[in-house]
Amino acid sequence: MPAHTFAAVCPYCASPSVVDRPVESGGFRRDRPDFILGFDVTREAATGRVEDWIGRSRLFAPSAIKQAKVTKIQGIYLPAWLYGGVARSEFDARIGEDYTTTETYTTTDAKGKSVTRTRTVVKTEYRSLHGVHASYILDVVVTASKGLGNEELETVEPFDLRAMRRYDAAVVSGWAAEEATLSKEQGFQAGRDEARNKIAQKLRSFLPGDSAQLLDFRTEFSEENTELILLPIYVFAARYGEGKRLRILVNGQTGEVQGEVPNSPLKIAVGVLLGFAAIAIVGLIIAGATS
Amino acid sequence: MSDPFDSAAASGACARCETPLERGDLRCAICGLGTPDQQEAEQNIAIQVLRCEGCGAAVAFDAAVGAPNCSFCNSVMRLDELIDPPEQTGGYLPFRVDRGAAQAHLKRWLGSRGFFRPKDLASRSHLESLKPLYWVAWVFDAEAEVTWTADSNLGGRRSSWAPHAGAASMVFDNLLVSASRGLSDGEVDAIADSFELGEIEGEPHASPKGSVDLDAALLESFDVQRSLARRRIVRAIEATAAARVEQNHVPGSRFRKVKASVLLEKLVTRRLSFPAWVLAYRYDGKLYRAVISGQDASAMTGTSPFSYARLFMVLGIAVVAVAAIALLATVA
Repeated sequence: MPAHTFAAVCPYCASPSVVDRPVESGGFRRDRPDFILGFDVTREAATGRVEDWIGRSRLFAPSAIKQAKVTKIQGIYLPAWLYGGVARSEFDARIGEDYTTTETYTTTDAKGKSVTRTRTVVKTEYRSLHGVHASYILDVVVTASKGLGNEELETVEPFDLRAMRRYDAAVVSGWAAEEATLSKEQGFQAGRDEARNKIAQKLRSFLPGDSAQLLDFRTEFSEENTELILLPIYVFAARYGEGKRLRILVNGQTGEVQGEVPNSPLKIAVGVLLGFAAIAIVGLIIAGATS
Repeated sequence: MSDPFDSAAASGACARCETPLERGDLRCAICGLGTPDQQEAEQNIAIQVLRCEGCGAAVAFDAAVGAPNCSFCNSVMRLDELIDPPEQTGGYLPFRVDRGAAQAHLKRWLGSRGFFRPKDLASRSHLESLKPLYWVAWVFDAEAEVTWTADSNLGGRRSSWAPHAGAASMVFDNLLVSASRGLSDGEVDAIADSFELGEIEGEPHASPKGSVDLDAALLESFDVQRSLARRRIVRAIEATAAARVEQNHVPGSRFRKVKASVLLEKLVTRRLSFPAWVLAYRYDGKLYRAVISGQDASAMTGTSPFSYARLFMVLGIAVVAVAAIALLATVA
């Protein structure tokens, strides 16, 4: 069984096995999973979605991508930290309150005479606002795997956590499952960082006024917790062109497909040249019309 | 039923927000904190090969069926189901208004509907049906830290509005959120105050009881699952908190864009069935409906016909009076 995995299928007899290791052994502390989301998408359905994704047209991607061949498929339970807590924030904001006023302006009438007229205009008065905001932070999912970073995991989120079960070895059986290789403390830190982004969004929608700008906020977290959850992910390895590799992820619950497609330098260069050419043609047409 | 108020299946309170947990909760419904697993973790290395109970072959989780499946004999292992049961009533408040009292009160109510109702409304109306109904609602207590922002006219300069922000502690006692399909929200609002929610501890019965014949009673069920019920309750609390912020906390006399963030604690929910009489009466060939509280006949609401003849008579008198005044003014 590969390092940092605790479930696998025997390559000789195809028996699924799940290893239940002690929490601490060999100088390494293992966090036991608390919750698990089972696979809803079958391997065949995931493969079909990946084939559709590979065949999709992309403007600046290398043409060879469309002929990419899947070389390996693995359904794996990926460990992630589920972070939550209480967030109390203080914020400073600039609030715009609209008002209408009449102003006079000078214009030329139909006979070419200069005339003074009035019109109603909307103007904005800006005020500063200092306030507080308190809320629970729920369902922040951050990776607990060194092999798959948080940014990559976010590409196939969200997961529907309502289908979450308490961890059960029977759900893992027959699939690969990875142990958490990022510590609980790292989970706390990553969770707080993601929670700050969520709070910034909440605060922006919390502000009054006709327009508002969040200037600054400071958040204190309390009563935090992280729980280890196993998420269903298919990892597809594909090759294209001359030995180039592509990693594609599929959300095993929703079927969302994501992969990082490289850009073709040749296509980008052609695109830039075409852009310049179009601008030059439009400039020439305008110059011709003006003269 | 042992104790309808003990959230029957409660298994302790959330360590973070002190909201009572219910059996089957993986996480607190309010703050999201995971509940402790009852099973102790194994401390020794053990390799488990899950075996099919039918043929003994190794089984693996099958995404197509959402459960472990034996590929040899195709039998499926049952996993514990996710627990999200339909809401069940925790008790029935007794009827204190009998059929005769309800009927008599309808007569009085029809006779006191005001000037713009037909004069013969009470005498010419015929009762078509009078049915006892147990309608369902959640009653909850909670505490909350509420932070808010709003625009108000206090401090306005060139603009009529100025921004304000603040925080408040709130206590919610015996707030009622209707889950009824038979009664509209307006009907529930009209009779809700007739139930002494602060004094009902221990009173509800596990089955419908009262001084009326309940054979024909319609017993409503909640028709929603626990998770959806909790979301509705939380939304109701947030709406109540925002209304209180408007009434008691935003300075000034006019306000807009009131926004509240609610940090909820100690949410205790009771699920109750409330007694009511639903009446249908006919006047001049048309059916009208009324609802009477099953505990206090004076709490009543309903629809009744409008007398356009009386409206036109008042308008005619008003026009004549205005014309007479104008004539007098002209003469003077």
